[in-house]
Amino acid sequence: MNLEIEKNIYDAYENAKKLNEKLNNIVTLVDPKSQIDELKDDGLLYGMPIALKDNVNTKGIKTTASSKILDNYIPIYDATIVKKLKAAGAITIAKTSMDELAMGGTNLTAFTGPVYNPYDLNRISGGSSGGSAAIVASGVVRLAIGSDTGDSVRKPASFCGVVGVKPTYGRISRYGIIPYASSLDHVGYFTRNVFDASLALEVLAGRDDNDMTSSYKEVESYSKLLNSNIEGKVIGIISNVIEAISNKNTLDLFESLIKKLEEKGAIIKNIKFDDDLMKAILPTYYMIANCEATANHSNLDGIRFGVRESGNTTEEIMINSRTSGFGSLIKKRFVIGGYGLLQENQEKLFRKAQKVRRLIVEAVKKSFDDIDCLIAPASGNIAPLVSGSDIDELDSEYLVAENHMVIGNFTGYPSMTLPLGFEENCPIGVNITCKAFDEVNMFNIGLAIEESTGLKDLVAKVK
Amino acid sequence: MNYDVVIGIEIHCELKTKTKMFSGSECKFGAQSNTCVNEIDLGHPGTLPCVNKEAIKKAIQACAAFNLKIDPLLKFDRKNYYYSDLPKGFQITQQFFPIGKDGYVMIDCDGERKKIRINRIHVEEDTAKQFHLDDETLIDFNRAGTPLIEIVSEPDMKNGKEAAAYVEVLRQTLLYIGVSDVKMEEGSMRCDVNISLNRKGEGFGVKNEIKNLNSIANVQKAIDYEIERQSKILDEGGIIEQATRRFDESSKTTVLMRKKEGSVDYKFFSEPNIFPIRLDDEWIKSIIDNLEELPDEKRERFKNQYDLTDYDIKVLINNKSLACVFEEVMKFTKNSKACANWLITDVLAWLSKNNVSLENSSMKPEHLALMINMIDDKIISTTQAKDVVLKEVMEGRNPEDVASEKGLKQVSDESSILKLINEVLDEQPQSIIDYSNGKDRAVGFLMGQLMKKSKGQANPGVANKLLVEALKSRIIK
Repeated sequence: MNLEIEKNIYDAYENAKKLNEKLNNIVTLVDPKSQIDELKDDGLLYGMPIALKDNVNTKGIKTTASSKILDNYIPIYDATIVKKLKAAGAITIAKTSMDELAMGGTNLTAFTGPVYNPYDLNRISGGSSGGSAAIVASGVVRLAIGSDTGDSVRKPASFCGVVGVKPTYGRISRYGIIPYASSLDHVGYFTRNVFDASLALEVLAGRDDNDMTSSYKEVESYSKLLNSNIEGKVIGIISNVIEAISNKNTLDLFESLIKKLEEKGAIIKNIKFDDDLMKAILPTYYMIANCEATANHSNLDGIRFGVRESGNTTEEIMINSRTSGFGSLIKKRFVIGGYGLLQENQEKLFRKAQKVRRLIVEAVKKSFDDIDCLIAPASGNIAPLVSGSDIDELDSEYLVAENHMVIGNFTGYPSMTLPLGFEENCPIGVNITCKAFDEVNMFNIGLAIEESTGLKDLVAKVK
Repeated sequence: MNYDVVIGIEIHCELKTKTKMFSGSECKFGAQSNTCVNEIDLGHPGTLPCVNKEAIKKAIQACAAFNLKIDPLLKFDRKNYYYSDLPKGFQITQQFFPIGKDGYVMIDCDGERKKIRINRIHVEEDTAKQFHLDDETLIDFNRAGTPLIEIVSEPDMKNGKEAAAYVEVLRQTLLYIGVSDVKMEEGSMRCDVNISLNRKGEGFGVKNEIKNLNSIANVQKAIDYEIERQSKILDEGGIIEQATRRFDESSKTTVLMRKKEGSVDYKFFSEPNIFPIRLDDEWIKSIIDNLEELPDEKRERFKNQYDLTDYDIKVLINNKSLACVFEEVMKFTKNSKACANWLITDVLAWLSKNNVSLENSSMKPEHLALMINMIDDKIISTTQAKDVVLKEVMEGRNPEDVASEKGLKQVSDESSILKLINEVLDEQPQSIIDYSNGKDRAVGFLMGQLMKKSKGQANPGVANKLLVEALKSRIIK
């Protein structure tokens, strides 16, 4: 192997280790030596150091999903994307911190503690893929894998000033990703520019017979097709989000971006969804996600793997292991999910949520009759403080401005966040969403945004 | 008895597939513990199910055999409960949209033909096997994920005999169409019985479930016992409590396992990792069109096609592989009666004595047919066949070779036999006197001598006739 490439890998490894002392974004550092030794062919990502969110199963390497109950879990198999990344020549140097079992948007609930924002250590990275967002933002690696069930890639991307991609549901195999909620879970990833983002999808995407929900659709050459000419593209601003945001700086940044896109020949439209539907996104999401999650995580019982507590019967072992193995937020979500699935409640909670989801999907689908892309700020504000004030989850600004990206999970449509600007030296992002399997258009519009903002290859100086 | 008995049966049946319902690991009974497992069977984090097409094919075959309507939109659901034999903490099953609905089978019981309706057949996965020792529990995950169908009857049965007949028809049919091994003793077919009694004219009584019956005989015994037990309670004015019971073989009684405290809420919901699958109509049709002959159909065909007694037909139909060999042999002979006889008596006896299964025996159907034809053509005698030829045929040898090697040629030529008869009669003058005095026993004795002289090769029929004629002619002299 080229010595420079090898040095680059070890530099990244050392850098990750050093920055972890400040960011606390790594669960397990992975010594690259054996991977370098095994590296054979030239691949699209040949010799590129990368990081994986700690819910991506790696054979023989501890994978905890940042949960105590999996603190000793060493997978017996590789996730499909791990095989693909290896085949492309990527070298994993770290398994990154996340909200416990990917449930959360702050990365404050990891078993290893909070992940700090590389731009301001007093602020959160966002979650649940906070560790991966931070490791890309701090310049350690060019690519880190995350997962996105609500906006778990796209929100931390906004807070950490990086590109966060969640492609179409079924575009990337989920086999080997420790799940949260199967119908909403997507594999996503972080890069520092749109080109890297387009290249990464070429490696990650494709049909996997181990994942029946993965698509047979041909994987396109996204990086070769990359083109920032957006003349005639119709971009729809989600006006509900604009109306809900009170931060003038964010709105100004957004407006100036829209102007530049218009100058590039894009046709701008305002798309207004039913406000009640927009406000229903979060409760609908919670109900579906928690119900699926409570079943998905019933396998974590200490019997076959994971941390086992003692007990006189198998039932006692299961109860004790689960009681001690999960954080309180997880238990809260399991209780809500279990409640929503009870026969007496299912019609008015879980099934109703599924119906509302369909209504939202229908509305979004219809809006795409006239547009190529939806756009909105990824968040109303920069990353909150770790010590942050309590969030009023019923406030309409929160409900709409901070949760609209769940639309991408409800519909399965491809969606990405890119840096929009700064406030108090902290980044904030903009989000775009396109039609199912229209990743080519998404990357092209993303490239036009990148050119417009000039925010490319940002690296945070961690102080 | 003053009570109406209502019986419904749920049968779990393992499908005979190479691999598991949702994973690629092997299905193998009797393999060393925990060797037929992969990450999916163990419910490891991040694993996803992948539907086994062969299992769906077998389920469709079962639906077709029992006249169920097949739902071409395949859907799966999760049944959620915690138990250490259930790796994922949920079982993937078909709660809301079973693959088959509304079918029936015909049973024959006490000379009457009766229709038993089948409510549904659905596809699901099996659990692991647990072994509870004194101070520990061992779990074998080989069975976890094995494809199952559950066949749920309507409550159409009234007594143990009918129930046993129903299970037998199901067992035989599933075996015939190759859907399952249906070995109740190995657990590849498991039977739960629901039974309730009510006073004539009143509504349904309280249901008791008898779990995991492991033989058809026990199905009948458990039901007979349960009817007796519940009748007695009702006779005495008591109340039947809803409960789950098991059959205790040693005491031939049912034993309380647990009282039902309201029904368990399994929080069923549709499996998000398997989108509904639209089954191709042509595929379904080709499975149904190529369904193997059902026992009833074979029975009718045998009646029409072969000259057999009812008893022979019954024995052959009850033993699918025997029926199969019968038809193979019949390709080379016309004597169906002899063919059935040889198979049912001597062939089965030889197999059981030598501990060989019919499937594994080296006997070639054309050889058995040839042996039957040689008897019919009087080339060898039945005695020779029974004593010498059959065992060689069973070991794969050609009966013609055996006959010539052992000098087993039956002599039917009258002049040769007559020559021998005259020799015998010359040597045994006393027997001629005995015969003329009316002692018929003398014929037997003389036949024995004749056979000895001919080294067993004289055709007994011809010899007997000639001997009697010769005796008579000598008396007249």
